[in-house]
Amino acid sequence: MKPFGVATAPAYYLAGSEPLTMSSEPTGTNIEGEAPDAEPVVETDEATITEDAELERTLGLSGGLAIGIGTMIGAGIFVFPGLAGAEVGTAAAASFGVGGIIALLVALPTSELATAMPKSGGGYYFISRGLGTLAGTIIGLSLWIGLVFATAFYLVGLGFYALDGLALVGITVGASPGIIVSTIAVIAGIGFTVLNVTGTENAAKLQNGIVALLLSMLVAFLAFGMADALGLVDAGTPPGEARNVWAVGPIMSVAALVFTSYLGFAQVATVAGEMKSPGRNLPLAMLGSVLIVTAMYVITIFVATSVFTQDALAAAGETAMVEIGRALLGTPGALVIIIGGLLATMSSANASILSTSRAIYGVSKDALLPGWASRINLKYGTPHVALGLAGGPVIVLAATRQVQLLAEVASFLHLIMYGLMCVALIAIRRDRPEWYDPDFVVPGGPVIPAVGAVASFGLIAFMDPLSIGVGLGVIAATAGWYFYYARDIRLKGAL
Amino acid sequence: MSRVLVPVEVLAGKTVAPGLMTLLGTVDVTVLGYHVLPEQTPPDQARHQYEERATAALEDLSEEFRAAGGAADHRLVFTHDREQTVTRIADEITANAFAISGMTGDVDTILVSLSGDVAVDRITAFVTELIGDREIAVTLLLASGAEAAVDDRLETAATQLREAGIDTNTSTAAGSPFDSLMDAAPTHDAIVIGEAAPSLRSLVFGDEAERVAASSVGPVLVVRREEEKAEATDSEQ
Repeated sequence: MKPFGVATAPAYYLAGSEPLTMSSEPTGTNIEGEAPDAEPVVETDEATITEDAELERTLGLSGGLAIGIGTMIGAGIFVFPGLAGAEVGTAAAASFGVGGIIALLVALPTSELATAMPKSGGGYYFISRGLGTLAGTIIGLSLWIGLVFATAFYLVGLGFYALDGLALVGITVGASPGIIVSTIAVIAGIGFTVLNVTGTENAAKLQNGIVALLLSMLVAFLAFGMADALGLVDAGTPPGEARNVWAVGPIMSVAALVFTSYLGFAQVATVAGEMKSPGRNLPLAMLGSVLIVTAMYVITIFVATSVFTQDALAAAGETAMVEIGRALLGTPGALVIIIGGLLATMSSANASILSTSRAIYGVSKDALLPGWASRINLKYGTPHVALGLAGGPVIVLAATRQVQLLAEVASFLHLIMYGLMCVALIAIRRDRPEWYDPDFVVPGGPVIPAVGAVASFGLIAFMDPLSIGVGLGVIAATAGWYFYYARDIRLKGAL
Repeated sequence: MSRVLVPVEVLAGKTVAPGLMTLLGTVDVTVLGYHVLPEQTPPDQARHQYEERATAALEDLSEEFRAAGGAADHRLVFTHDREQTVTRIADEITANAFAISGMTGDVDTILVSLSGDVAVDRITAFVTELIGDREIAVTLLLASGAEAAVDDRLETAATQLREAGIDTNTSTAAGSPFDSLMDAAPTHDAIVIGEAAPSLRSLVFGDEAERVAASSVGPVLVVRREEEKAEATDSEQ
């Protein structure tokens, strides 16, 4: 019988002297004299152990999948089918396929990095450690701005679905539906920000439930749609089919637009510090969510373009799925899609606001932003400053209603991060810091990350020039911030 | 010596009643300072801001426990899930029991519930060690049910406690284990119960221990079930 309570130090103090401890530390201070907050930590499957405290890992695989799928599914299924189908018809399925392949090429390297560095901050963390402070600052701040654009985009989608919902229950909105969409998007934006600041209820279970409900609704709906498209059942849909543009240029251009549908798998990495058994759950959650949503997207586009012609899809716009639901199943079908669209865009927006505040924390912890940016209040225990820094600009952008611009800028900023994550993986593997010991290793040497980087950067070339311009402006501004504020901080190779 | 885990929500200004500290003077104590965060907040962010304040409070608490008699250390955890954290720490330190703090002055009488599917031997051993040679009276309570008929756990336990020199009464009650415990609680200063196996009932109604703690004002000590992992390591030695 082992005696209880032998007066030794707790096991974690002993473990602190193991080689797991990180050797190299960040150095330097920012313009205000703040230094990065770095403490040696020990990671276990259940907690992160620092010198004086422990951080419990509480998210399981289903929670990780819910964040990944919940963030992604709102855009791909409920906003883009109309816009994408209008451009290239059934070939849009290929556009979504291309997006899914690129997402997978990036998700694999991200998984390796995340299992080696299971910390809050996700992509920012990997790039600052792999490529240094300049790239880190650009990506950390661009991730924040990119998430802001993405959230605004989801909220505008939410506005369009709410408008259709109002129409379905017989409320007509007169001559200026655009203003109504903006108003709803702005109110929802304020609502989510306030809820996130004051809400102490754990919404994670709700998010899991919403995602499960959405997936089962979609599977049933899409199964029926597929049966109709393949002629197994006849729901009386018009025989007209979308004219298809099977050409590389247009397909890639649509892929660039709809890539916003895949911004989500890397958000799983922003909660890496809270995942149980990160070595197993992080890769499964990231790769699993990409595979699941890719399949859903491709089928959705196939159904959408089988039911409607290009012109009809173009006319129905952001909420074309509602018309498709109506064509397949009548008013109940439209209702199902409207409810699904509301739930999905809400879950995307909420999950993105959550990631934004973690992105800001990651940067502020390394003194690339002032420390007050990550203050939390004891009353609610929430990071009110970071949430405000997320919610404020979201509301302004949501009011613009520029679906395509918001989506592309969000994609642009994320694609830069994705490309650099792939480069960071190659760099870190080459440098091999002592602490680098991933549980998940991408097979095939540098091939997959190299192709992932080329594909990510390459997709940008197919975007609208205005989106590229706005994106480059953000990059320039964040680089300027680095030279002004954080030039002396060294993060490369540190943990 | 037995070790008791005392979870305290330290940043919410919660502390431990002096009576409970004195009561636990005969055993070793690990004070678990925990802080539950909403999912919007990375636990690391809270650590960054509150670690010092929480550690200072925990060091004070541990010092008070040591002054009360036993050895005491502390752990500090930032978490999204209190139950997961308490269970993990209890496993890691192989705690025999954990305490749900309540208000109490000096403890003169303890109510010990033997109802339900609990490890009677472990409860008896723990109570014996807890009381030691102090003048604290015990009431053993058994809600009449199937168990009362099949075994004589009440008499066996009472005999063991009396042999250890503890003033022991026994009591049986009709009605559910929970209600009879609540009926007897007001005339005692603290409650000892066993951790029940997770059953459908505890899934539906919340953990029995939590219910008892929520309904009684005084502190509740929950004696943990035999730990399978600890068993395995012991047998290897």
